[in-house]
Amino acid sequence: MRESSYKVLPGPEGYLPPAAATMGVMLPDPGQAIMEGESVDRDIALRAAARKLIEARNPVFFPGPLILWDWKPGVAEKATALKELAEAVGAKMIPMPDYRPKYPMINPAIEVNPNHPNLTIWHNKIDVCLFIGVHCHYANLALKIIRGGTDCYTIAVCAEAGHEEAMISLRDAGLCELQRLRELVIELKGGKNQ
Amino acid sequence: MKTGMLKISPGFEDIMPPEYRELVDNGPYGKNYGIGDLGSYKELLEEHPLCAGCGLALSLRLTLASLPMPEDTVIVGSTGCSALAFPQVALHNIHSLFGNQNAVASGLKRALKLRFPDKEKDVVVIAGDGATADIGLDMVMQSWLRREKITTIMLDNEAYANTGGQESGMSMQGAVLNMAPTGKKFPKLSLPEIAQTCGCAYVAAASPAKPKQLAKVVRRAILVAREIGPTYVQLYSPCPTNYKFNPKETVSLIKQREKDGLYQSKEYISQEAKAFLESIEVKK
Amino acid sequence: MIDQKIVDPDYLLFEAPRTSEYITGSEAVREAIKRANVDMAIAYPITPQSESMHLVGDIYAQGYVKEYFRGENEFAVMSSVAGASMAGVRVFTATGGPGTMRAFEVFPTWAGARLPIVCAFMTRGVNSPLTIQPDTIEMAYLLETGILMLHAENSQDLHDMLLMAFMVAEKTDVHIPVGVFADGFFVTHTRDKVNMLPEDCKLPSYDPYSAPVPVMDMENVPVRQMRDPFVMKSNFISYAAHASWQQEIDAAAERSRKYLNHYLGGLIDVEHEDADIFIATSGTAVSQSREAIAIAREEGINVGLIKIKSIRPFPREEICALASRAKGIIVPEFNRVGWLAKEICNVIDEPRKVVRGPRVFGGMTMPPELILAEIRRIHQ
Repeated sequence: MRESSYKVLPGPEGYLPPAAATMGVMLPDPGQAIMEGESVDRDIALRAAARKLIEARNPVFFPGPLILWDWKPGVAEKATALKELAEAVGAKMIPMPDYRPKYPMINPAIEVNPNHPNLTIWHNKIDVCLFIGVHCHYANLALKIIRGGTDCYTIAVCAEAGHEEAMISLRDAGLCELQRLRELVIELKGGKNQ
Repeated sequence: MKTGMLKISPGFEDIMPPEYRELVDNGPYGKNYGIGDLGSYKELLEEHPLCAGCGLALSLRLTLASLPMPEDTVIVGSTGCSALAFPQVALHNIHSLFGNQNAVASGLKRALKLRFPDKEKDVVVIAGDGATADIGLDMVMQSWLRREKITTIMLDNEAYANTGGQESGMSMQGAVLNMAPTGKKFPKLSLPEIAQTCGCAYVAAASPAKPKQLAKVVRRAILVAREIGPTYVQLYSPCPTNYKFNPKETVSLIKQREKDGLYQSKEYISQEAKAFLESIEVKK
Repeated sequence: MIDQKIVDPDYLLFEAPRTSEYITGSEAVREAIKRANVDMAIAYPITPQSESMHLVGDIYAQGYVKEYFRGENEFAVMSSVAGASMAGVRVFTATGGPGTMRAFEVFPTWAGARLPIVCAFMTRGVNSPLTIQPDTIEMAYLLETGILMLHAENSQDLHDMLLMAFMVAEKTDVHIPVGVFADGFFVTHTRDKVNMLPEDCKLPSYDPYSAPVPVMDMENVPVRQMRDPFVMKSNFISYAAHASWQQEIDAAAERSRKYLNHYLGGLIDVEHEDADIFIATSGTAVSQSREAIAIAREEGINVGLIKIKSIRPFPREEICALASRAKGIIVPEFNRVGWLAKEICNVIDEPRKVVRGPRVFGGMTMPPELILAEIRRIHQ
């Protein structure tokens, strides 16, 4: 298909940015990842994500229901790996426990919601965030609103096909990717874990 | 719900918002709670935007507290006031369109039976009187005629409340409401009788003025639907906003109506349902 | 019922040995659904669709489909199909013409709710006076519902597209409904040679837990989950959330291009790519065009064919590239409004090149001479 000149970059892009997929940005093939709208080798994306995370002033992880709940085999291990990654990065965690419209009752200090993720980003002054365990539909909803209204750099660790709405997105990502990301974070920090 | 499914992942307990921690620590799943336990556990309804004194909100709260198996209950709602509360209900629930709730529930119930042949999954329709008795009556009755094993609960506030108080088939004759500026010209529909004729194995009319009775009929209706066939419950739930009475008087208004003979509780149980209910109610 | 083994979809569609049979379009539907590992089918009669769902009923009785019933009308059927899909099963239905219109409110909600439903539309006229005759006007109304739309030329297309439709619809990054359209009577009620797949093979089953939204079964998280909640408070946040949701449906349709290209071998087929004049059309109008093209080429006119297989997503760039070199593009259609010509005009740089016709409707057939006359006119 056509080459896209559209860039998925930190915003704020404006009032109502288009969905990246409708601007020709395509999801990566298996083994690849997507970085600012371009398909790249998975390891390049992992390294770039690690660098973004450690260089961030205030990195925050947004774990969604699929990882917040130990609802099927394999989740607990991923949750532990995510927690270890957050510790290595020095990132805060703000959960996305569900997807219901909560405005204006939401407390942006303790949760994030796909219908208005910008509130949490503005309130907590988040410059880099990482999505994980969020159902793909809601992740894209939120990632696009973030691009439109904030300057936050978004990273999505997706167990399915990935997210072209994120600035960096992994696909088919699981425990290995979380562990690899942690190794890279530690390596880039000069080998020292906190 | 698989046993242990609702467990917070290790290390995430402290970041989970309190309404979820409470649900895990003290929720109703698998507990067989009833309305007598209200106030002692974390309810399924987290918060709701319905009006003060809303009879429908009260009926909904009592209905949710009466579900025999909340951990395996999926609800189908419809457009209306109750749809504003449902995003806050800690059960999988569907809002599709206005009036198609029993058709959605038919597909849902049969599909869940296919996927979980050895497990009970209660499908409960909870919708207003406009959705049930007017726009959706076709699909409500057809689901009964097809003997779908679902429970249909009408929250009867005698008006289209969410769209600004229009007359419905459940409004009383003479009621002056929007779209009936000179008063409603025909009587309130007798849906319990229709339900009985259409093959419902259990039919009841109740109200939140008698919570224990409401709880009993909701529970019976769901248990009968699980085993035998379609069931129908009609819950009289007055609307202070559109009928312009004091929100404090919702329950007393129901009692007054009952005294005046304008509302009565009902229960019809088919022979088969009666035998079934006796067998399980004696066992307990 | 023959024991069926699950096979890789690519094997089934591209490699498995095929045997040729002379069957109707409705029978082609039956044969496709038999191999599609469908959990549930819901039926409602309407001419010219009824026979398809009768035959699906037959294979339900034989055990190939696990659940099947007749609903009370198309709006209810499409609603029941939505309920089944939200419960996590693979579900199929079919309708056409006035039935499509009766059900209409449900279609945009299928896409909005990310339901991978496959529906066959056996197209028929919808206008007053009532007609049961073939006409593709209902497709005009469905263009913006978010449903992916494939248009079959013949029974072979119908058969293959139905199987492909399930595979595309269920991709996590797509996960929206697919409508497979066939021109009523012309395809459904005529016999044609169809190369059929082995009867002992079927598609892999659907995994609802890979869906981009939670399944309504109380077996996955979050449990505090409504599908789909009202986002209708009057504030910017609600508007933005709803807008972003709508854009995500468009995005899902865009993502389907890659999969459709794989399965269909492109959203269009082209014959005589170097042609000066193209006939661009879809459905059975393609077959009529082939006849006109054969005659015109004998006369020495370099005319080619663009067979449009996917209407949504629309092959805008493929058509644009071909149109830029052509002198004219003729768009024959089986409807009064000329929706396909409008679609083509919308995407090409020089809409004046488009001949918006010939059009026949009300059940009339399209003599190739009508198309030939346009070819000759442009050629001069």
